[in-house]
Amino acid sequence: MTRATTIWKKELRRELCTWKSSLWLVIASLLLSFTSYLLLTNKELSLLDQTELMWLLSKVIIGIALLVVTIEASGMIAGEFESGTAESVLLTPISLWGFVKGKFLSVLTLWAMLFVVSLPYIIVAAAGSGETLAFLAYAALLGTLVVIGFTAFVFALALFFRSSKNTLTTSLVVLLALAAPALFSGTLKSGPVLQTMSTINPIENVFAALDYILVDAKFSLLSNIQYLVPLLIFCVVTLLFLGYAVRTVSRQGVVQHE
Amino acid sequence: MHDIIVTTGLSKAYDQKQVIHSLNLRVEEGEFFGFLGPNGAGKTTTIRMLTGILAPTGGTVTIDGHRLPDEREEAVRSLGAVPESRGFYEWMTAEEYLAFFAELYGAERMRIDELLAATGLADRKHALISTFSFGMRQRLGIARALLNRPRILFLDEPTIGLDPQGQEDIQRLLRKLNRDGVTIFLSSHLLNEVSSLCTRIGIIDKGRLIAEGTLAELQTKSKMKGGSLTDIFLRLTGGTKS
Repeated sequence: MTRATTIWKKELRRELCTWKSSLWLVIASLLLSFTSYLLLTNKELSLLDQTELMWLLSKVIIGIALLVVTIEASGMIAGEFESGTAESVLLTPISLWGFVKGKFLSVLTLWAMLFVVSLPYIIVAAAGSGETLAFLAYAALLGTLVVIGFTAFVFALALFFRSSKNTLTTSLVVLLALAAPALFSGTLKSGPVLQTMSTINPIENVFAALDYILVDAKFSLLSNIQYLVPLLIFCVVTLLFLGYAVRTVSRQGVVQHE
Repeated sequence: MHDIIVTTGLSKAYDQKQVIHSLNLRVEEGEFFGFLGPNGAGKTTTIRMLTGILAPTGGTVTIDGHRLPDEREEAVRSLGAVPESRGFYEWMTAEEYLAFFAELYGAERMRIDELLAATGLADRKHALISTFSFGMRQRLGIARALLNRPRILFLDEPTIGLDPQGQEDIQRLLRKLNRDGVTIFLSSHLLNEVSSLCTRIGIIDKGRLIAEGTLAELQTKSKMKGGSLTDIFLRLTGGTKS
């Protein structure tokens, strides 16, 4: 774990030393401020029930986090291969798995930073509803699960592609393909195929769980099990995919033939 | 003296194309071994397999008694490498860069100042790598490779692109390291550099080791008594000198 921590600390320093991370946090807070402003001033949106408003805000928070994490994670590993720095790092006693773990920790830290930025919005939106703690806890839990799943998926792609552009394009297409159905109402998802897709779609599960928790006030973990289980399965599957990618690349060698 | 680098039947194929053909190589401890070959002969691929970052498709590699890839971590502790691809974290200072790698190696931090001084970068330790010239980057790469006090140092074209003064500085440093007992495996296009530094030379062409020995042995093998390394190299690799 020590060497993975070294990678993690290096990534954190990069985040702090360069403008990238700060820019993401500024963009996130601007988007959250804009959403909050709309929720307060827009004629139709301002008529929403408070719980509906909280649900909408939670979707925006997780949507922004997923987008930022996908973009950042796409370049984090592939970028090191492109610039040639990965070769120097992997010539030290660190394993490829340790290298990936360090990167994983830094993506989770970025998610934590984004979550901290969204805290004031959550607290203000949930004030007086009695659901502040549930909102915080479930946004953190569901957000963390979906971020873990997506990061594992993006990292696995990055190990196979070794190209930031290809990783980013593929990851964004997958993110869009999963996020788009989540925006449609349930009545549009008729038929067994669409319903099955809807059941296994991690983003739909996160949004549906938040709806169940915030709007329908079903706070216990047990009552949300139908959403949590598919999410956990998604995490396990993507982590296995990442494990497979690490094993394959380690077996073939961490550099590729030019 | 024992063999510190041993390869047996080392081979590499990409898809159907064989790029390294059953390479048998032995480098003794304390040797300064020069590895020569035309472009695309397989020098970098061989170095990558010897340093454990590229898996062979056949044969074995043993580094300081540790077999790759099973004992990679132990083998990597014995070696330092300046690879062909020289990526640097541009946003770091020289000192931060070496501190990062020292942490990965578990090396002591006092080694950083020692190496910055040895590579002539002491006065630039707080400067960002993005402001470094090519020669300074080369020297920083060598400093990084020496952090763990390696017993074997692999260098892939370490003086390429350097001015004569820069080349001389690096060659002096390499001679000193070799005198101190570090085994050096040097891949270079600069035949004068190889003939002045190396005690033994291997020549690879089209993925096959076509000759190996001291300069005198290579002269005998190529039937060019008194010939320069350039003449020998050209004759053995099918160049213009015949």
